[in-house]
Amino acid sequence: MSSAQSFRDGLLAAVPTLRAFAVSLAKNTDRADDLVQETLVKAWDKQDSFQQGTNLKAWLFTILRNEFYSQMRKRKREVEDSDGAITARLSVHPSQDGSSDLTDFRKALALLPEDQREAIILIGASGFSYEEAAEICGCAVGTIKSRVSRARSRLADILGIEGENDFGPDAIAVQVTNSPAVA
Amino acid sequence: MTMTKVLSDLEDEAGNKEQMAHRNPEKREGSRGSHPAEPMGTNSEIARKLKQYYDELVSDEVPDRFSQLLEALEHQEPSRPDANED
Repeated sequence: MSSAQSFRDGLLAAVPTLRAFAVSLAKNTDRADDLVQETLVKAWDKQDSFQQGTNLKAWLFTILRNEFYSQMRKRKREVEDSDGAITARLSVHPSQDGSSDLTDFRKALALLPEDQREAIILIGASGFSYEEAAEICGCAVGTIKSRVSRARSRLADILGIEGENDFGPDAIAVQVTNSPAVA
Repeated sequence: MTMTKVLSDLEDEAGNKEQMAHRNPEKREGSRGSHPAEPMGTNSEIARKLKQYYDELVSDEVPDRFSQLLEALEHQEPSRPDANED
């Protein structure tokens, strides 16, 4: 009972970040919440396959991502038909105070291909390592790095941000070492 | 890359760092192996906006349906429940 309880607590604690990832993938809060719900149900059913001591968050992100792509395949035609509509009603957070530049950012992010968007979110926002992101996405570490790099250039292009376009695939690692925040 | 590989990497940051150094010869000392604290750089406007965007989403109020769902799951046995609370 207590192990089920602690598993439940773990899932509950992960919900905010799962939702953020889901919204980033699905570009729509209703769909995102359905994804999170499906993820929780699947995680619960598969809890025996979760290895204690491993990264629960990464495990949950993997489930959510798989669910997203499986739904995408099912809804492909629908998504293609209404892509413009979905982009137009991107979820707007109620608490965003005068951050019109964030609205632009949100729109720019939505224009990225899924693989680039998820890579830059996992690495730049969700706090995963390249190895974890690669595991979540089922691809090589180098693939994640190049997707992040391309996502970044693309965002810079769309947003008209200068000075971020010249980064090659290795620039991110270089950036890390140059960053004063990394002690 | 296998799961075991990744897990052992995660358990052994030092070993991992060494491995990363091989992969990125230009990478200087002081990098954080596979866990870049600021993978996109603190000076990056995109990195900053990305975090801002994501943090807003994370701090969004979580609908009750999720805690209700988990409670329902906990009190039902393995068979998959009809999860729609609404």
